[in-house]
Amino acid sequence: MELSYQEKLTLIKLKDLRRVKFEDLVKETELDQVAVMRAVLWLQSKGLAKLHEKQKKIVKLTETGKRYAEIGLPERRALKLLVERGKVVLDELREVLSDDELKPIVGILRKEGWATVRKEDKKLVLEVTEKGKKALILERPIDKVLKILAEKGEVEAKEIEGLISLNELKRRKIAEEELKTEREVEITEEGLKLAEKGLELKEEISILTPELIKSGKWRSVEFKRFNIKAPVKRIYPGKKQPYRAFLDKIRRKLIEMGFIEMTAESLIETQFWNFDALFQPQNHPARDWTDTYQLKYPKYGFLPEEELVERVKASHEHGWITGSRGWGYKWDPRMAMMLMPRAHGTALSARQLAKDIQIPGKYFAIQRVFRPDVLDRTHLIEFNQVEGFVIGEDLTFKHLLGILKRFATEVAGAKKVKFLPDYYPFTEPSVQMSAKHPELGWVEFGGAGVFREEMTKPLGIDVPVIAWGIGIDRLAMFKLGIDDIRYLFSYDLKWLREAKIIW
Amino acid sequence: MPKFDVAKDDLERLIGKSFTVEEWEDLFLYAKCELDDIWEENGKIYFKADAKDTNRPDLWSAEGIARQIKWALGMKKGLPKYQVEKSDIVVYVDEKLKDIRPYGVYAVVENVKLDEEAFKQLIQLQEKIALTFGRKRREVAIGTFDFDKLKPPFYYKAVEPEKIKFIPLNCEEEMTADEILEKHEKGQEYGHLIKGRPYYPLLVDSEGNVLSMPPVINSETHGKVTEKTRNIFIDITGWHLDKIMLALNVLVTALAERGGKIKSVKVVYKDFEIETPDLTPKEFEVELSYIKKLAGVGLSDEQIKELLERMFYEVELKDGKAKLKYPAFRDDIMHARDVLEDVLIAYGYNEIEPEEPKLAVQGKGDDFIEFENAVRELMIGFGLQEVMTFNLTNKEAQFTKMNIPEEEIVEIENPISLRWSALRKWLLPSLMEFLSLNTHEEYPQKIFEVGKATLIDETKETKTVSESKLAVAIAHPRVTFTEVKEILDSVMYHLGIKYELEETEHGSFIPGRVGKIIVKGKEIGIIGEIHPQVLENWGIEMPVAAFEIFLKPLYKPSS
Repeated sequence: MELSYQEKLTLIKLKDLRRVKFEDLVKETELDQVAVMRAVLWLQSKGLAKLHEKQKKIVKLTETGKRYAEIGLPERRALKLLVERGKVVLDELREVLSDDELKPIVGILRKEGWATVRKEDKKLVLEVTEKGKKALILERPIDKVLKILAEKGEVEAKEIEGLISLNELKRRKIAEEELKTEREVEITEEGLKLAEKGLELKEEISILTPELIKSGKWRSVEFKRFNIKAPVKRIYPGKKQPYRAFLDKIRRKLIEMGFIEMTAESLIETQFWNFDALFQPQNHPARDWTDTYQLKYPKYGFLPEEELVERVKASHEHGWITGSRGWGYKWDPRMAMMLMPRAHGTALSARQLAKDIQIPGKYFAIQRVFRPDVLDRTHLIEFNQVEGFVIGEDLTFKHLLGILKRFATEVAGAKKVKFLPDYYPFTEPSVQMSAKHPELGWVEFGGAGVFREEMTKPLGIDVPVIAWGIGIDRLAMFKLGIDDIRYLFSYDLKWLREAKIIW
Repeated sequence: MPKFDVAKDDLERLIGKSFTVEEWEDLFLYAKCELDDIWEENGKIYFKADAKDTNRPDLWSAEGIARQIKWALGMKKGLPKYQVEKSDIVVYVDEKLKDIRPYGVYAVVENVKLDEEAFKQLIQLQEKIALTFGRKRREVAIGTFDFDKLKPPFYYKAVEPEKIKFIPLNCEEEMTADEILEKHEKGQEYGHLIKGRPYYPLLVDSEGNVLSMPPVINSETHGKVTEKTRNIFIDITGWHLDKIMLALNVLVTALAERGGKIKSVKVVYKDFEIETPDLTPKEFEVELSYIKKLAGVGLSDEQIKELLERMFYEVELKDGKAKLKYPAFRDDIMHARDVLEDVLIAYGYNEIEPEEPKLAVQGKGDDFIEFENAVRELMIGFGLQEVMTFNLTNKEAQFTKMNIPEEEIVEIENPISLRWSALRKWLLPSLMEFLSLNTHEEYPQKIFEVGKATLIDETKETKTVSESKLAVAIAHPRVTFTEVKEILDSVMYHLGIKYELEETEHGSFIPGRVGKIIVKGKEIGIIGEIHPQVLENWGIEMPVAAFEIFLKPLYKPSS
């Protein structure tokens, strides 16, 4: 039978002791308590030793009790003063008693019959009795118990129960009781047989030290067997924020799919780029005070170069040369200059289209955007939008559907998609896509449309531009295993520490 | 955007054909609606339709959807035809309404059978048009009346508020105009549209009975519509004639779909007269090649004609062009693109085989974002947990709680909550907030964020610039300046950047344990032990050491 060093040592000690208190066994082996306990349990599981456990009630002094053992019980101190002076006014007892002790003292002295109490000049006067005088040298059970407890530290309850009721000690807060397990270890027949055959004790080590390696001493030691199944403490490494990790992944996918990343200089945008350049009329309900943030400071930004502004204005007012009749109202440059936190990534697409771009080309941005909403389980006040466009001479509606479908398969792992007519002020035709996610079922997954010519022509673009956006929040929530959207921007460190990695 | 309820039976009665619920799901797409919800009530199946197109109010009722589906399925084709009979009814419009609510248009629809569903649809359509298309009644307000109870001609007048007194809808007592604005539910909701004007608009009949005080409320006693009403008088007011005329066309043709007979009304303005409704079809012309090219599904001229006829167009093909007539209840055709969309909806989006464009292009991530990502990787290597916090915050968090004087930062004029009323100019307050929300969680707590700080820059187009920053905060019982300096030092080493620390004073940090981070003679950040006053302000009972730096000055484009 394979025995560890500790087990062998314990068994050898038990051979002589047969049955021994656990504490004594620890002393004998000179090992630490945990090691002996582990050895005993292993020996027990191998049928070589037996651990007996018995619970007993013990009594020990409280802090108050310890003090009384030192300076005497309050009634003893009072009696001593009484005997010395024969008669005292209650207040005189303060010389030997604390405030707490003074209150119950009259009752105790009376009960013991050590003093008589009467009122003189409105003051309580105590006078010692004969019994009191004799009591000075008599030992009551409580005095005896106090002495025993002070000497032994703790005793089994049954040892003093004959002398005094435990309740009295507890009521006076002199002593408290405690349950304690007493352990004894006994060698079994089989253990004894094995021990008598003789056991070879080879030094056992738990940690392989550099010294052992250097000295070569590792050859003559035995390595303690570890319980490799023992549970360990969980540690939390530094990790990416899960939602950011998810966004990183989408970013990589889009780059793989041939998209060029767009960025913005500021989170703040002029209404010109957020709305006007997208052919969204100035009286559109989305531009209402309730649906669009405005800034208190700074209030207005600058418009881009005049020719561009003039073209956008003309497109709004009468369609310019776009073949459109326009919205038919007077366009207000002041409104276009108003600043706001960017409300959608399409603003970036518009900026990009007005700059130099590759045709054909594919562009995307993962952009932080802001909407006036109340933060709750289903709404965020700022979030990340994945948007972009594809531009090319020969693009058609079929391609628009093709791009959306590719997103659905690549990003959402969807097998099936469904297209629905939709409406955006800046695209026509417009599509919404639902994708069949393997676990979530049909999910609204994105939208796309061909940018209106009223929008693209003023920006200097004469070829079709397919604008797209993918709705990633539900997918992210699913990936992250959350049903509260606020956890995308989690302020809960425990949750972040425990979150699984996204890759 | 607008959502409304329709009964399956009612729709099928209007179409004259039954469908399964699954079929309905697809049929709604022809009407640019999504089937949002299905439920049963009193043994009847109801649908909630979510109308996508805010410029197509003709599709916001059972009548409109049924009409669109009849056409889309080819049960009818071309222009829907409606008879409009001239009547001798006249409405006189007061020119004093010019700056108050200048225009009104009117019609009568006779012989309408308003059963329960039809009645519901009529009310619902009015509400949706006034709410969405009419911008909460500002641009379009609609009143309908039981014509048999009224005595024409009618007068749309401007009346001094104090002279107005009538029993408003759903009330029992007479109220003055201002009492209505103050006490009546609709008065409170829409009163602001006329309040403070010298006159309020009022519609009265020849006997001086008040029918309505547009755009706020109708009368309870004169002309209230019930399910028994057979002949309906419609009144629509607003600011733009074309807009209210479109609303009127939508309403009268919807009622005509239920067998109503439309009669026109003469509206007399000071300088001109019009006869409303005017259902004369509108005209448009498109190049067929334009449609074919962008659709990309190989359509022939005839096919385009046939598809357009299913979307209410009368089509004449000529010289590669389609000359179109379309019904007066539509006003959304601005550009050939709008016609193209109709062609594709009639064709069916889901009948088209998606095709990925083959473009010879190569993807590319932004270099600076790649750099940010490399910095994030490095920070994770130190065992720091990445966090992502909001840019929206407030001045108290940015300054007061950080124990520093307030500065001008980007502030929102109309925040939903004061808590989210400004954009952050530095990240450490966000990290402090994060730590303050996790004081019960095991320490050490080591966090970082790479995020934006938005600064004022008067030279920029948006007067602002959002700079990328790295912020780090470490909290545990024995954290010191040295621990964060070790991290900063290692970051700088691994980025190959020489830096110096310069002693400084900063209210957020303990004096003598704070330094400016200097790179090439320029201050790019701050490092130190957070001041106990700041910790107390955030309710953090644990020492914190932190730094924050701009990333742009550390960036060298990778080759």
